[in-house]
Amino acid sequence: MKKRAFTLALTAISLLGTAVRAADTSTYTPGQPVEGTFQNFAQDFLERHCFDCHDDVTTKGNLSLLDLGPVDETNASIWKSIWAQVTLQEMPPKKKPQPDIVERLRFSDWVVGELEHAVGGFQAHLDPHKGNYVNHDLLFGPLPEGIRLQPASSPARLWRVTPQEHITRLNELINTEPVYDPEKPGVRSHGDAVPTNHGGELKLYFGTDRIIKWQGGTVAYATSVKSVPAVLSSARKHGLENYPDFYTVNSAEATQIVGKAEDILRYMAYGPLSIANPEQITDDPNTYEMEGDIRGLPTALVYGTKIVRPLTPVFDVIVVREVTDERLQAAVDYLFEALTFRPPAPEESRDYVQIVKDAIAKVGKENGVFMGLSAIFLDRDALFRPELVESGEPDEHGRVMLRDWELGLAVNHALRYIKPDEELRRAIVEGRLRTREDAKREVSRMLADDGIRKPRILRFFHDYFDHDLAGYICKDTVALARTGASSRGNGHYRAMFDATASTDRLIELILEKDRDVLKEMLTTQQVVATKADNTYFGRKHTEEERRAALAARKRAEKEQAKKDAAEVKRLEKEVAELEANVRENPESRQTKKFLARLEKQLVAAKKRIERGPRRNRDQDNVDVALADLSGPKIFARVSRRSFGNGSMKPERMLATAPEGQRMGILTHPAWLVSHSDAMDNHAIHRGRWIRERLLGGGIPDVPITVDAMLPDEPETTLRERMRVTREKYCWTCHQKMDPLGLPFEMYNHAGLFRTTEWGKPVDTTGEIIDSGDPDLDGPVENAIDMIQKLAQSERVEQVFVRHAFRFWMGRNETLNDAAVLQAAHRAYRDSGGSMKALITSLLTSDAFLYRKVQTGDTGKGKE
Amino acid sequence: MITRRKSLQTIAGGLGAVLGSSLFPGIGRAASSLLGGPKRVIFFMQNQGFDPATCIPAGMTGSGSLAKAKLPEPIEALEPYKDRLHIINGLHGLHTSPAHSAFFGALGGYRGSDGVPPSGPTIDFELSKVLPETLLPHLCIGMDSLENMRAKPTVANLSASGAGQPIFMHSNPNHLYQMLYGGISQGEIRQQHEARSSIYTRIEQMAAAKGGALQGMAKQRYGQYVQGFEDINGLRERLGGVSDHLREFAPEVDERYAKPEFETDWHDVLLDLGISALKSGITSVLTIGSGRGEIFGAWKGLGIEQQGHNLGHMKQPDNPIWIKIRQYNSRMLVKLMEELEKVPEGSGTMMDNTLIVYTSNNADKQHTNGANWPVMLLGHCQGAFKTGRFTQLDGKRPINALYTSILRASGVQCDRFNMSEKLAMKFDTGSGPLKELLV
Repeated sequence: MKKRAFTLALTAISLLGTAVRAADTSTYTPGQPVEGTFQNFAQDFLERHCFDCHDDVTTKGNLSLLDLGPVDETNASIWKSIWAQVTLQEMPPKKKPQPDIVERLRFSDWVVGELEHAVGGFQAHLDPHKGNYVNHDLLFGPLPEGIRLQPASSPARLWRVTPQEHITRLNELINTEPVYDPEKPGVRSHGDAVPTNHGGELKLYFGTDRIIKWQGGTVAYATSVKSVPAVLSSARKHGLENYPDFYTVNSAEATQIVGKAEDILRYMAYGPLSIANPEQITDDPNTYEMEGDIRGLPTALVYGTKIVRPLTPVFDVIVVREVTDERLQAAVDYLFEALTFRPPAPEESRDYVQIVKDAIAKVGKENGVFMGLSAIFLDRDALFRPELVESGEPDEHGRVMLRDWELGLAVNHALRYIKPDEELRRAIVEGRLRTREDAKREVSRMLADDGIRKPRILRFFHDYFDHDLAGYICKDTVALARTGASSRGNGHYRAMFDATASTDRLIELILEKDRDVLKEMLTTQQVVATKADNTYFGRKHTEEERRAALAARKRAEKEQAKKDAAEVKRLEKEVAELEANVRENPESRQTKKFLARLEKQLVAAKKRIERGPRRNRDQDNVDVALADLSGPKIFARVSRRSFGNGSMKPERMLATAPEGQRMGILTHPAWLVSHSDAMDNHAIHRGRWIRERLLGGGIPDVPITVDAMLPDEPETTLRERMRVTREKYCWTCHQKMDPLGLPFEMYNHAGLFRTTEWGKPVDTTGEIIDSGDPDLDGPVENAIDMIQKLAQSERVEQVFVRHAFRFWMGRNETLNDAAVLQAAHRAYRDSGGSMKALITSLLTSDAFLYRKVQTGDTGKGKE
Repeated sequence: MITRRKSLQTIAGGLGAVLGSSLFPGIGRAASSLLGGPKRVIFFMQNQGFDPATCIPAGMTGSGSLAKAKLPEPIEALEPYKDRLHIINGLHGLHTSPAHSAFFGALGGYRGSDGVPPSGPTIDFELSKVLPETLLPHLCIGMDSLENMRAKPTVANLSASGAGQPIFMHSNPNHLYQMLYGGISQGEIRQQHEARSSIYTRIEQMAAAKGGALQGMAKQRYGQYVQGFEDINGLRERLGGVSDHLREFAPEVDERYAKPEFETDWHDVLLDLGISALKSGITSVLTIGSGRGEIFGAWKGLGIEQQGHNLGHMKQPDNPIWIKIRQYNSRMLVKLMEELEKVPEGSGTMMDNTLIVYTSNNADKQHTNGANWPVMLLGHCQGAFKTGRFTQLDGKRPINALYTSILRASGVQCDRFNMSEKLAMKFDTGSGPLKELLV
């Protein structure tokens, strides 16, 4: 038999090679290439740990590895699976002899190294979804002998700005946002991110801060207003979305950026006059007559005369003065710093001035200035943030510390989307941003000042919770109507974007207190809510309740109809009497007046009867027992960008969620719907979220041979349809997710609490399996029971710290980062769960401060 | 070292000269054909809905030949061309939320709405990837009121290259002319073109100089950014390099460009530019957004004083206003066909290799749930599509199936476009292309 012959041969080789192997495998340094070939390294591992089950006799999982051979393009997918299974300690199975930790780590790194060579651009191990592939216990517990860590650092790199960051940066050029008001801490102000609009689209709006009148409704308004959609792409939906490895800027994006740059520059110079006629700019809207139906046209807007946009050297050079070298340079320097957040080097300034001059020579002053200045929008540093440490000296480990502008902008970017505040800028310019202490001073100062808005922190929680996807989940109209939520028009989607903003505000309130931040977010009873949330935080009626509510509504309507009929009768009688009176006393003005009033009332009463009962969509919703949310009014950080001034008002309330039905953000409609699909809940997504974001577990990719579909069986519970995932082949992975997601079946797929499903009591049980913390493992009654358990766990806290590390470092952790992670967790714990303490620890760590220039051209992404 | 730019220049110099009217006919792409020439597809999206009563001949209740039918008044201009016409009624777009326009969802086959970003690539972009490579893979033009086209010369509502990646449509013909024919123009347009070219060249040089110290993947990503400028400059150079060829097709710039009396003046010259881009081989995919995918728009040049939203509130059948708009569309379609017929290609004409898809981004009407999404196809595209017919479908297959059919005809083996199997369980009773359409 083939296997036996192979084994004999290998035994002979391995007897000879034992001593060598012992020496080779005695140490492991994370990030260092693992020497060895398939023949002298990997084959041995496979023989000892894999062939028992995966040879030509016992092809478990229909997989034989006997003829696998060295890593190449054709077998790369199998090697990738082997890497995932071995790294996650799924293989060898628990009942089989296990490789020691060092051996496992070396094998795992060897496979990655070979995949990088064999498959161009292989970078699965760098994806944040694979961050948990690094063993949690090794990061936070004692290391076995033989593991030699290197001091932490991150690779030298360029970060492309995110779409939101880019739009917020451009917004600074044409709009003046309100200054932060401590009396209204929730209202969107200068430094906050430009939010997505009512439909979830990210756009830069022109002149909305001056519009005082418009014709038409909301859609007409949104069409009339000049706006530019985000140009830079961002394709990721779940999880951390901004690692430096993800994005670049392509030619289509560059073309669009430069096209829009001229629009922005013209607005910087002329304001609304660049997009409207002079007569549209007036403080008395009555002086501008809108003739006929002009909804949706730019002429359907009236702008106030007060200039609110920033008046900059671009305005000077175009509108106020003649073009001189000095003024041109002032415009270039201003624009360069506004777009790159640093002043230009003299040669950069010179180059751009020359570009503008050349353009002026060809097409004249105005067009030349706009065309020439638009080039700055495409500067490398306007689109990427460099961390290249080109000027520093490496330490004994080959690391170079960020300094001056690179460190200043790294600190700034960790918290902000707009350019450094004056104090940070001064520190950079004066050479006071070169040490760890310098970084700590600035980070602490910025964190302590609420006036310095820090949208990146909120962005982290978006990426961590993924609660901002709800409005993008396309719902089947019939399935949505069945949940009790409104399925008419776009009401549900608007409600979901509102819900994201509400949850954002709740997160901010918890961050303001800065105590037990994660635990609070997981367990708080507080909710920020709109009126519509009385439905979404409501309870779906059981069938009996629905019938009773329907009957009650019919009764009430019948009662009302009776009253209306009686009212008509009464009014008719009184009118007849009064008419007689008038005939007798035609001079009585008083009587005539009274008669006219009664006649009007009679007409109205008759109309009411004719029209039938008028229902309030929420109050008369027979499908839902509405929540009774009430509390003080509160702002949410949305903007007027697409809808007049309305949403700059405190339209929300800080309320308490119905007791026993909700607990923390994971039970809010925003999170629940974000983890649902068109027809139903998505227990697998929810379970995966718990497994990855709270328990720190890894899920291997779905094998391409798996047809990942649940059966379509109408009027059947999701739990029942998920029986297919309990088949042995699927369950190995699905046991990590499904029992963690099914407890959320206590809510329907619009996020309403429910006690029954298809007429039967809903099953909300689940189980925490193999969490890594034996105290957590065991059955749970429902989502609230599970969340309560998880919120107490130190491991969960550590996993949260790991995600914060990834967000702020822009990469997955390695074992070399163990000390940084432990220190960050200690800072969080010792401060009573302070996010500020956690961030300060991370932003003053070696991983944040030091960069290592990669050598070679393979781009392995290792330190 | 041969860069991509250089290699494309080589292609331009070689094949463009050999094959005359068409530049870069398909090099290893799916839709190339040695006999018929390169395929091309045109999408014409009229906003506010396409009421089936304005296109289905009176008395035709079931599928059948159009040979003996008389086309209704709004599309009567197509009467001489009905042998190449296919009217399709009964597709649906329930999943695209088309009330007040499905925006990107109309060509994407997914949920769209006002303010909703694209959730995937649209069919026109997908086709531009598989049809024979051209200088400009995909051109979008948008027609709107004059004010809107001036204040917002580019908007992105209909086409996308991927999730969150809108493609802009051009509405100011002066800008578009400069982009396409700046290299062969004179006077002010020429000066603007040259100024812009020299800026791009300088940007490319500066960008390249700033990437020196990068290594590994950062170097690759930065290389793509620099390559982007190479592509932009390369396009300008390539257009410049075939200027003699382009001169044959470039429309003459007349008063309507600088001093339009009505928006329809710009609509007309935008169409001319679109046609010229097809005929000269600059592009093989053209998307025309009449009303730019929104619920407004104006056609004062047709004697229609009303504009915008109210047009959508009117019933279209027998409505003099909508008859005028649809007749105007039909004349544009006729012009497209006539112009493409003038250009010999393969053993026939350009039109023989072309498919025109006429429909609305609003399904059948402005306030609609998308249960019916009427479409007209013109042209057989190298014999791939049935013509001269009216087809009544049962409302069970989505517009995605139409797009799948076009992809199939373009050589792409796919069963669905932008629709997961799970979604298909609810919204598509079939799979693969529409057999009623393909030969």
